[in-house]
Amino acid sequence: MLSARHLEHRYDGRTVLAVEALDLEAGRITGVVGPNGAGKSTLLRVLAFLERPHAGTLILDGHPVRTSQDRRLARQAVTLVEQRPFVFPGTVHRNLLYGLSLHGITGRDAAARAEASLSRLGASAMADRAARQLSEGEVQRVAIARAIALQPAVLLLDEPVSGADRGALTQLYQVLDEERRRGAAIGFVSHQLEYAYRWANRVFALTDGRLSPLTPDNLFRTTLSEAAGPQIVRAGPLEIEVVTDKSGPATLLIPPEDIVVSREPLHSSARNQYTGRVTRISDDGRGGVTLTVDVGVDLSARITREALDELEIQLGTELILSVKAMAVRVF
Amino acid sequence: MDFFSDGLRRGVELLFAGDAEVLGITLLSLRVAVFSTAIACALGIPLGFVVGTTRFWGRRAAITALNTMLAFPTVVVGLVIWGLLTRRGPLGGLGLLYSWWAIVVAEVVLAVPVAAALTAAAVQAIDPRVRRTALTLGARPWRTHVAVAREARFALLTAVVVAFGRVLAEVGAALIVGGNIRHHTRTLTTAVALATSQGDFALAMALGLVLFGLALTINVLLQLFQGRGGA
Repeated sequence: MLSARHLEHRYDGRTVLAVEALDLEAGRITGVVGPNGAGKSTLLRVLAFLERPHAGTLILDGHPVRTSQDRRLARQAVTLVEQRPFVFPGTVHRNLLYGLSLHGITGRDAAARAEASLSRLGASAMADRAARQLSEGEVQRVAIARAIALQPAVLLLDEPVSGADRGALTQLYQVLDEERRRGAAIGFVSHQLEYAYRWANRVFALTDGRLSPLTPDNLFRTTLSEAAGPQIVRAGPLEIEVVTDKSGPATLLIPPEDIVVSREPLHSSARNQYTGRVTRISDDGRGGVTLTVDVGVDLSARITREALDELEIQLGTELILSVKAMAVRVF
Repeated sequence: MDFFSDGLRRGVELLFAGDAEVLGITLLSLRVAVFSTAIACALGIPLGFVVGTTRFWGRRAAITALNTMLAFPTVVVGLVIWGLLTRRGPLGGLGLLYSWWAIVVAEVVLAVPVAAALTAAAVQAIDPRVRRTALTLGARPWRTHVAVAREARFALLTAVVVAFGRVLAEVGAALIVGGNIRHHTRTLTTAVALATSQGDFALAMALGLVLFGLALTINVLLQLFQGRGGA
């Protein structure tokens, strides 16, 4: 939907962004994580056509966006919700109507869309309040409502999880998921890895303006039940016992270092045991080895070179992988 | 001290007697000031917007030039306009010299930098999120300018009032290009200068009080407007 190629952006001669390729695809959520000052907000402003990059191309819906006229039209399809969103004076309702009027939507249509958007974010009660008197979290909800009312093809959000309480976050995730299903390409940046994994279909890391795919091994998307404490969840073909007080959509991570590898089933405290054959052995050259074991899905386990030799592991060797429920990280 | 208080008292009497001379001068002054301010703001505010919001080569030089023009000696501006409008000058054919329009021309030249510099400062001080938010919601450039102007409305109003004040209080250029002709180009300030030099302290005082009253009224109106608009 929106693609960036060879982007470069500078402030006062200093390169703050150097992104080779980034694709925000329709119907998918893309998360970018990075520390403060990594260039996350700049990236979003460039993607939203609010700042013109010094080099590189942005391609919207297959068409390169080059001229000012192109950029103006592109802004009709791409909307950014800033980290500290700006609201105009007047009521919340008027703020939503303003955006709609800029898209040529007025009268009853506009009022209906404004109300529907606010209601999706649980902000209907705020409609007649003065936008400038809202709390930070409320402003953010209003700004997101204002953005989704426009039904943008590309929705960009800067730190959407900051300032929101837990209930608001669940609602926000639902809204983003609905937007994704509507076919919007959604991109958000956050310094919280946890939310990037929970919400995004794909996660990238941004460091010093450079983007790299973040694909740690052994990540599984799942949905947790309401029950607190240990629970068994399905993640693809695996059943994984986890201990968490979280609920709803989540990402599970089995750290490759925390997997115990054996030739025979272990009588141990490990609640999760999987059997499979070794499909790959890669030596890191520093005494460590990463095994890829097909247990229905590929699981990576890190062991030492000595352990590999001792257990006489080769490609095709059948192994038992054991993981404590407590070792499974839940995001 | 007697001389001063006596002059002040007679000035107030003159004012309240509804002196035709004082009224005529006041109306002419207001006419010149309103026309000059309107034209100067129509030119200066858009200019200030461009300088304050767009990035272009030589922008810093333009801001320096505007700020320097704020301090232009008014007699020099008067002199240059006189040179242009005099019968032998390049614009002599217009026959404007020693008319109230000549004063308007000079005052516009003096007030445009005021309106432009204050507008540029006002829009530069506006939160950059205003522009970004309007743009990302789909605003065309002119709607974005409207959004910024709305945020800066009090500062822009101040620019108008300061320009008006400059025009109303200006004496040097008005004297040179207007000629201080009775019933034609005699403004409040030029009349005060003349009356003082002729020793008519009471008349000068009456006119001075009018000037002071006008300045006060405008500022009170500005305060009221800002107070009501709040938030």
